[in-house]
Amino acid sequence: MADYILKVKNLSKKYDDKEVVKGISFEVKKGEIFGILGPNGAGKTTTLEMIETLRPIDGGSASIDGVDVASHPYEIRGVIGVQPQTPGFQDKTKLTELIQMFAAAYGERVNPRKFLDEVNLGDKADAYIEQLSGGQKQRFSIVAALVHNPKIFFLDEPTTGLDPQARRSLWKLIEEVRNRGISVILTTHYMDEAEVLCDRIAIMDKGEIIALDTPKKLIKDLLARGFKKEQQVEQANLEDVFIDMTGKGLHT
Amino acid sequence: MSTIITLIIIVTVLRIGRRIFQKSHTKASENTPTKVQKKLGPWQRKFFTVWTFFAINLRRVFRDRVALFFTFLFPLIFLFVFGSLSGHSGVSLSVAIIDHSSSSYAKQFVAQAEAKSQKVIKVNRTVTTLAAANEKMGRGELDATIELPATFGNSKAGQPSGQAIVHYTQNNEQAAETLVSVLQAQFQGINAKFIQAKVPFTVVSKQTNERSLSSFDYTFTGLLGFAILGSGIFGPMNVFPELKKMGILRRLHTTPLRVWQYFLSTMMGYAVTGLLSLAVMFAVAMAVFHLKVVGNYLELAVFLTFGIVMVLGIGLALGGWAKNERKVAPLGNIIVFPMMFLTGVFFPRFLMPEWLQSVTTYMPLTPVIDGARLIATEGKSILDLGPQLGIMAVWMVIIYAIAFRVFRWE
Repeated sequence: MADYILKVKNLSKKYDDKEVVKGISFEVKKGEIFGILGPNGAGKTTTLEMIETLRPIDGGSASIDGVDVASHPYEIRGVIGVQPQTPGFQDKTKLTELIQMFAAAYGERVNPRKFLDEVNLGDKADAYIEQLSGGQKQRFSIVAALVHNPKIFFLDEPTTGLDPQARRSLWKLIEEVRNRGISVILTTHYMDEAEVLCDRIAIMDKGEIIALDTPKKLIKDLLARGFKKEQQVEQANLEDVFIDMTGKGLHT
Repeated sequence: MSTIITLIIIVTVLRIGRRIFQKSHTKASENTPTKVQKKLGPWQRKFFTVWTFFAINLRRVFRDRVALFFTFLFPLIFLFVFGSLSGHSGVSLSVAIIDHSSSSYAKQFVAQAEAKSQKVIKVNRTVTTLAAANEKMGRGELDATIELPATFGNSKAGQPSGQAIVHYTQNNEQAAETLVSVLQAQFQGINAKFIQAKVPFTVVSKQTNERSLSSFDYTFTGLLGFAILGSGIFGPMNVFPELKKMGILRRLHTTPLRVWQYFLSTMMGYAVTGLLSLAVMFAVAMAVFHLKVVGNYLELAVFLTFGIVMVLGIGLALGGWAKNERKVAPLGNIIVFPMMFLTGVFFPRFLMPEWLQSVTTYMPLTPVIDGARLIATEGKSILDLGPQLGIMAVWMVIIYAIAFRVFRWE
């Protein structure tokens, strides 16, 4: 039997009589990168927010490492790391101070330098958050969410608005996080991202999970149903050209 | 003496601030991997959280020029404006003199009235005709007009005589009466030169040694209340919706941070910056406006801290409840403006009708302003302030009960 970090059962959420999450169930294995895909308004963010204790659960249940989310919110908050869609940090505060504050929120005292070095922000230690670029902010946001060494890490559309280099660097970072033994759940609109990064994905539409499997299996199933692309796919695409010409390294 | 104590307080607070700063600075520059620190107990950990938030946010305030302006300079501007308005004590009448006479007595009289040595009458020299004077009196720019008829000071049988006429409007009866008695006293001195007479009944005035409150004492403690109100209510009312808009509170909500921890660190921050700003106000008031503080500084600081924290609760409730600034601004104004005009911020409460005084006694800011005045300028001990502390304590409970209840992280 596989070891599950997250179990979601018949989870549902209503806003003014409109059911935005309709009794979904899924499980996330320990050490897995699990992706939730779906068009805007499919209920991805609401699902994450219920699991993250940010929104009350209207029906069903969720448990993280055997602890029920609804009945033990503070215990849950101690073992989850959260990267919201738009990471907000207070201005005029040094990165080291922000790390200290986040650690302190968990009652921990840490060496902020160590965390900043992990994401190549060591030389920005005394900078304020508003002096960072978009990619740097995302990396900082991720490391700030990991100061307490959580068991599971939620990322809501982490690479939206980033340039291809920054996206690749973030993928690497997310894989490193997983390699440390932290399970990862992320939502994304980028299919290439899901394909490269995720061990398994769930596709949500109108509050329901309509497919759940490994990316390979989902593609295979589609082909088995007789799907054919209209145009023969080239061995490279425009993004490959862009990366080839501008390099893989981060520009900022 | 009192200035020295204020300086000591300011220096001590600044030194504590520096120590906090240095402590975290050395921590940040340690480049060794995280050591396993001495294990903290669960409650120690909770207060460690509070302290860290307090210390870092306090440092942040001193980097924020806008916050510094509103905390320290803004109240000082009000202090200078209102301080100089209430600066001149005693009655001073704005008067025009219309002189139709050409006698030397009339000239002498005018010269005397215009002399700087006498404080009661301020002569407006631009007014030269009775018509102009009437117009200005009608607008309230002049309190009264002295008319010297053409015959004033003419000698009759070797003895000069004359009658000055005091003109006034119906709203200025008191001013006219004062002016008449001043002039009478002046004429008495002149008359005595001509008629030798022994006056049976006389009156002299003598100043007692008892210290009394000047109007500036009321102005100043009112402005203390204004500063507490401004930073304690408008501060969080503006900051919290901003933190919500940027998702900062939401992010904190994903951590085990409790609302009370967040509130407590905020309270500590506002208490320190609030006390510093009030200390600066005291220093300026003592240096520029000759405020005499007779009470104990430590008691004053303790009392004001209580006041700051209590009023801050209103701001925490409003800002913690509001989803955005637009929603909270009208509610904030409804709460703040009555307090500005009814609790003695801009004018002392004893000027109000009695029924209004008895109602406003129970408003949250009233005991803060009264208490500050009782300690600072009347030398009362904090132990004498039972009624004030009682009202403040009740409000503290009510306000914070509401603040905790309505708080939202986003």
